[in-house]
Amino acid sequence: MIQLRDVTKIYELNKNDSVTALADVNLDIKEGELVVLKGASGSGKSSILSIIAALSKPTSGEVLVDGKKISKLLDNFASVYRRDNIGFIFQKYNLVPTLSVRDNILLPLVPLNLEESVAQEKLNVVMKLFAIEHKESAIVKNLSGGEQQRVAIARANVNSPKIILADEPTANLDEKLSLAFIEILRELKSLGKTIVIATHDPLFFGLDFVDREIEVHNGKILL
Amino acid sequence: MKSKINFYLIEYAINALLRQRSKNIFIVVVFTLLTALLSSIFYITNSIKYELDSTVEALPQIIVQNMKAGRHYDINVDRVDDILSINGVSDATARVWGYYYFEHAGVYFTLVGVDQFETQYKESLAKIVKSFDFDANSSMVVGQGVQRSMEQNYYKEYLNFVKPDGSMKRVALGGVFDAQTTLESNDVIVMSKEDVREIFDMSQESATDIVVTVANPEEISTIASKIKLLNPNARVITNEDLRVSYQNIFNYKSGVFLALFIIALFTFFVIIYDKASGLSSEEKREIGILKAIGWRVEDVLKEKFYESAIVSVFAYVMGVMFALFFVYVLQAPLLREIFVGFSDLKPTFELPFIFDVQTLFLVFFLSVPIYVAATIIPSWRVATLDADEVIR
Repeated sequence: MIQLRDVTKIYELNKNDSVTALADVNLDIKEGELVVLKGASGSGKSSILSIIAALSKPTSGEVLVDGKKISKLLDNFASVYRRDNIGFIFQKYNLVPTLSVRDNILLPLVPLNLEESVAQEKLNVVMKLFAIEHKESAIVKNLSGGEQQRVAIARANVNSPKIILADEPTANLDEKLSLAFIEILRELKSLGKTIVIATHDPLFFGLDFVDREIEVHNGKILL
Repeated sequence: MKSKINFYLIEYAINALLRQRSKNIFIVVVFTLLTALLSSIFYITNSIKYELDSTVEALPQIIVQNMKAGRHYDINVDRVDDILSINGVSDATARVWGYYYFEHAGVYFTLVGVDQFETQYKESLAKIVKSFDFDANSSMVVGQGVQRSMEQNYYKEYLNFVKPDGSMKRVALGGVFDAQTTLESNDVIVMSKEDVREIFDMSQESATDIVVTVANPEEISTIASKIKLLNPNARVITNEDLRVSYQNIFNYKSGVFLALFIIALFTFFVIIYDKASGLSSEEKREIGILKAIGWRVEDVLKEKFYESAIVSVFAYVMGVMFALFFVYVLQAPLLREIFVGFSDLKPTFELPFIFDVQTLFLVFFLSVPIYVAATIIPSWRVATLDADEVIR
């Protein structure tokens, strides 16, 4: 389903300085698979997620999702690709803090101009699934870290994407909330989603429902 | 059926504005004041222009004045016959008029003498003469400004004019007239020529000047030259000369207008520059988030368009309404003085309501699109970056 072919990503810091985040990365992820990318900070895990989500373009190499090349998509097509296929759970959640839970979750649907009943139905489903319906009208900045994360997960799923990408999802959570997140992952996996998680949290290692753990080190995948 | 207009985007835009309430209220207030100032200037200019055009239109085609030692003196009424003998002259009338200083109010009135049996050189005068009876018992018809000054000084039925020899001439108030334009008529008192001559101590053979009507307006300058040849000591003024003179006064006002206009625009552009110079990190981050969750550049720009359009159109409408109220209801206090200028008469000059669509469009195009562009351009810059780069 997801294929990375000789993907290299170099960030230009200034005219004379650059950082190679990924170097000739090759990776195949099957549909419905749950893959954990593990490695230290700065190893390149987040860059892999960013490239799969078409949030940034690889410097060289190509990325295919369902056989379609997404690595060179024009900006507008990349947005549409994300909207239709990707649910991204960011490390810092990336919610709009001054909006309500409801409005944050509905954000990906705004440009679609759906009928209100359809949008409401989608909202109800994800709020119930991720147990956040009791906070529907609350302003996000007033929520706890765990609640904010559930809003982020609900938002990532409101458009029923096939692929869920999570970047250090438990970095800001205590152990109890991290375990709750792992249960949510199990739920998502059971729904048939393809899931890629970038983390260095040991709680994710050796889980029974994780299909593969891949070590990323200095921008390379260790086999 | 799905609506073509995305009301969710509009709702999001309104929410975005409300989330930054204080900042946006400040922008709306400044924007409204600037639009109001610009609109007021245009409204006042239009009204004054209308007044001046009407005044110039009503002026005589040619005025002949007697000059001696470079000063204006009374003219002999016999000159009327000489002028009438010139081919192309259709009418010539000796006018008897002058300025009377009304000491109680510290203002000047314009006394205009009429003869009920003469053809009046001005339509407004003809109307007055037709409507009122200037009998032998000395009566007068006055403009509304004169009536107001009289009433303020307890003269309700008559006015005592002080003659040059110090004696009094009592003239009864016969009526008050409405005139075509307030600028020309507020200070006017119309009475019989005999009464005016008596008040100014003029002889029966003399007049203040002679007004000439020419059959073919194309021939005004030629006939003016012929009158000058016939009366070398006379000053011959055509309506074109007066038009230029009025316009010069108005151009001076336009200079003041320009200064105000530039100040208003300058302030507006300072705000625009501030807005265009960049988005706050919060705003950038929000655009990055929207891109990351699937918004296209055009979705972001549409939303920003709605935001800026709501602010600027609202402020524009408020500004225009405020200006209408300020100029036509309050009569533009402070600003009016700059444009109407100093007057000895202190007339209560009313700005006539002139609805000019062009002015509304001009103010609109000088404000709304500039503000919308200044909002959209920096957002477009951020929206076209990689979302990853913006979020990080």
